[in-house]
Amino acid sequence: MSDDAPEGASGPPWPTWPVGFVGTPEDRSAALVLSALQGLTPRRLLERAQQHRTASAVLADIRRGSAGSERDRAFARTLDPASIGAAADACAARIVTWDDPSYPSQLRHIHDPPVLLYVIGADLPDVGSAVAVVGARSCTEIGREVAFGIGRALGVARATVISGAARGIDAAAHLGALDARGGTVAVMGCGVDVPYPRGSRELLERIRDSGTIVSEHAPGTPPFQRNFPARNRIVAGLSAATVVVEGATGSGSMITAEHAMEFGRDVYAVPGPVTSALSSVPLRLIRDGATMIRGPADLIEDLGLAPEAGAGPDLAELSADERRVLDRLAGPTLPDRVAAALGASVPEAVAILMRLELRGLVRNVGGRFESTLRGSAASG
Amino acid sequence: MYGRVVGVTVVGVRGHPVVVEAHIGRGLPSLTLTGLPGATVQDARDRIRPAVENAGLEWPLRRVVVNLSPGSLRKEGPGLDLPVAMGVLAASGQARARRLEGWVFAGELSLRGTLVSTPGMLSVAIAAARRGSKGVVVPAANAAEAALVDGLEVVGAPSLRDVVGFFRGAWVPAPPQIGEPARDGRHAVDLAEIRGQAQARRALEVAAAGGHNILLIGAPGAGKTMLARRLATILPTMTRAEALEVTQLHSVAGLLDAGGLIRERPFRAPHHTVSIAALLGGGSSSLRPGEVSLAHHGVLFMDEFTEFRRDATEGLRQPLEDGRVVVTRVAGSAEFPARFTLVAAANPCPCGFHGDAARRCTCPDHRVESYRAKLSGPLLDRVDLRVVVPRLTRSELLGEATGEPSVAVRARVEEARARQRRRYGSSGFHCNAQLPGPAVRREARIATDARDLLAEAVDRHALTGRGFDRALKVARTIADLAGADTVGSEHVVEALAYRATEPSGSAVRVG
Repeated sequence: MSDDAPEGASGPPWPTWPVGFVGTPEDRSAALVLSALQGLTPRRLLERAQQHRTASAVLADIRRGSAGSERDRAFARTLDPASIGAAADACAARIVTWDDPSYPSQLRHIHDPPVLLYVIGADLPDVGSAVAVVGARSCTEIGREVAFGIGRALGVARATVISGAARGIDAAAHLGALDARGGTVAVMGCGVDVPYPRGSRELLERIRDSGTIVSEHAPGTPPFQRNFPARNRIVAGLSAATVVVEGATGSGSMITAEHAMEFGRDVYAVPGPVTSALSSVPLRLIRDGATMIRGPADLIEDLGLAPEAGAGPDLAELSADERRVLDRLAGPTLPDRVAAALGASVPEAVAILMRLELRGLVRNVGGRFESTLRGSAASG
Repeated sequence: MYGRVVGVTVVGVRGHPVVVEAHIGRGLPSLTLTGLPGATVQDARDRIRPAVENAGLEWPLRRVVVNLSPGSLRKEGPGLDLPVAMGVLAASGQARARRLEGWVFAGELSLRGTLVSTPGMLSVAIAAARRGSKGVVVPAANAAEAALVDGLEVVGAPSLRDVVGFFRGAWVPAPPQIGEPARDGRHAVDLAEIRGQAQARRALEVAAAGGHNILLIGAPGAGKTMLARRLATILPTMTRAEALEVTQLHSVAGLLDAGGLIRERPFRAPHHTVSIAALLGGGSSSLRPGEVSLAHHGVLFMDEFTEFRRDATEGLRQPLEDGRVVVTRVAGSAEFPARFTLVAAANPCPCGFHGDAARRCTCPDHRVESYRAKLSGPLLDRVDLRVVVPRLTRSELLGEATGEPSVAVRARVEEARARQRRRYGSSGFHCNAQLPGPAVRREARIATDARDLLAEAVDRHALTGRGFDRALKVARTIADLAGADTVGSEHVVEALAYRATEPSGSAVRVG
């Protein structure tokens, strides 16, 4: 069936939308209504599509009562596609469907691709320049800074950071990209106009202004928990590579990484202490063959991107004591220990640590201090 | 028949002399109290007759009217039992009115006629001395505290019969135990008992030296309470005047056990469910000092600071600013001194383990955020030092030596306080913490490079505008501890270490 493989390319070994599924204005309207139904998973919708070939036929089938939940049927009967279109207009969202040429080509090759996307802001990036950065919401300070650094490095290297706008690693990665004035895409599990999570409201406003917000759900769709795992396939699907920073067993970052592997994309993971629950996903991935990276520099190198110019803090200005302290901070260290190692008083040690913190070379994690320089720089 | 003696009613901590007049006239046997007696004084009406009769004295079976003047002042407290009884005895000729002149009477009577321990007797003695009285008659249990007042004869009587006997020359009181305890300024706890936590100990020293309030942020079990308790031991030794104020407040609250002068700085740790009245002072009839006043010249420790009711924490603003609380009720208003060092303690997040080395924080994001919002606001703007107290691992605990004893730290603190007193002279400030923002910038004497460093910290978003003034004050104190006239960059840099408003710094800082 040649019409299953658009663009004449060899299609993926799993079913996708038939060409012309949203070919006509009526189909387009029908697809809008379908995007607002909650009881219908993308997978089930896709099965219907194999049978009925167009969006309007699928919708008619659902309205007749042969598919979808009872609530969806009632809902589908009352729903007016024009009002969904108006809601999209109200939040300045464009609608990109499977049959549009601007539909991101990298999504055509994933499992259960979204039939349409609501997009606010800049155009979605080419696959070659998009990297997903995902991880735990309740992450560590270290994880946050690593994610920020990766986001920033990708931004400087003109790659686009794809993530889910959640708190923690996601937010840090987006912020890093924004900090470098790079592109970034937030993939939502709710409507594009729904500011969720609440804590990310400000972040989402910044992304709306200089990046892209995208969702397969109609505007106004609340953040249903079941939407979030499905959202991860879009995060992985939009990206040439997926980086996992921190994640506990059973978390969404594992799902995203698994999607990336299925789609044949690269997976990178930042290791952590073997004793930490937040290391379980990255270490698991590394064991399964993901590429271990120690930080932004490794990633940029592996992706073959242009490295950040003038990177690295200047260590030449440091005093001898500051150098000695910095060299000793292998892991989180109490100021008491720093003082003892230097043979200095605690106030003196605290003062040196603060000078280093002001330079961004040291950070305070719950009362312990540690170096922000990973690997190469600090050992010199 | 007429009798007249002097008693004292205590409003807040201050004793006000009350003239008690008694008249015995014709009519059915009764006792009428006039002159604005409060509920607790009205209460005494039925108590006094049995007390007199059981003391082996005679109650006049006629109409007795007792007037308390000035009539504009509401009288409260059981301390007026004795003067009312003595007034009646004087009027009925059982005590010689001439002999009672110049004496002040106070104390609560039991039905048996014994004098029971009564709150506020130190305030009574102070009022008596101020009035130029010859002496004061108080319950024997309160003789030691009353004897703290100079130039006053103190008679501590066990019962009403003995009071009458004293004025008839038939009974001689035991001389009161002068209550200056031998254990002078020695505390039950000591800073040396704390293992590790060098940075927190240092922060306590700075807080004590500059009179700063301090916020301790740390996981459960990190040792916040232990640290807070020991701040009282490194504050300068109280002067006698300060000790008297503290003793007076505890006396009024009825918390003074037999001993005399309180020499240790108080440490009060109200639970977070404390009522407003218990925290700030008040009560329905007589106004009692609250926890803030019981912590006067000492430490008020508020563990689980975020759990306190908002109106409770808001109510702390007045005492933190003025060093006193004014409690107003229908019954009247009273002022209590309340100059304390606030030690607030909080977990870094609702579950308590954010940033912990060993355990993982399980809090949802929005709860962490709303929790942190509680760690800011107008009250916490008055807290100059904010320190993260890490929970030490077993190996860290075992590896750490114990620190200096409180005595050694207190010596440095006292020296730093002396420098501040010399610098501020007669300006009305005693310590760096009291200086408002503009005055700090004027008085701090900060070196140029140190000022640049602070400005840079603001530029790097490591400090807010308010944080700037706080850091400057703390740096001034650190310089005072170092014996330096000018605040140098090393002092400023150390001060910046005590600015952990955000537990473990939640914002991503840009290098």
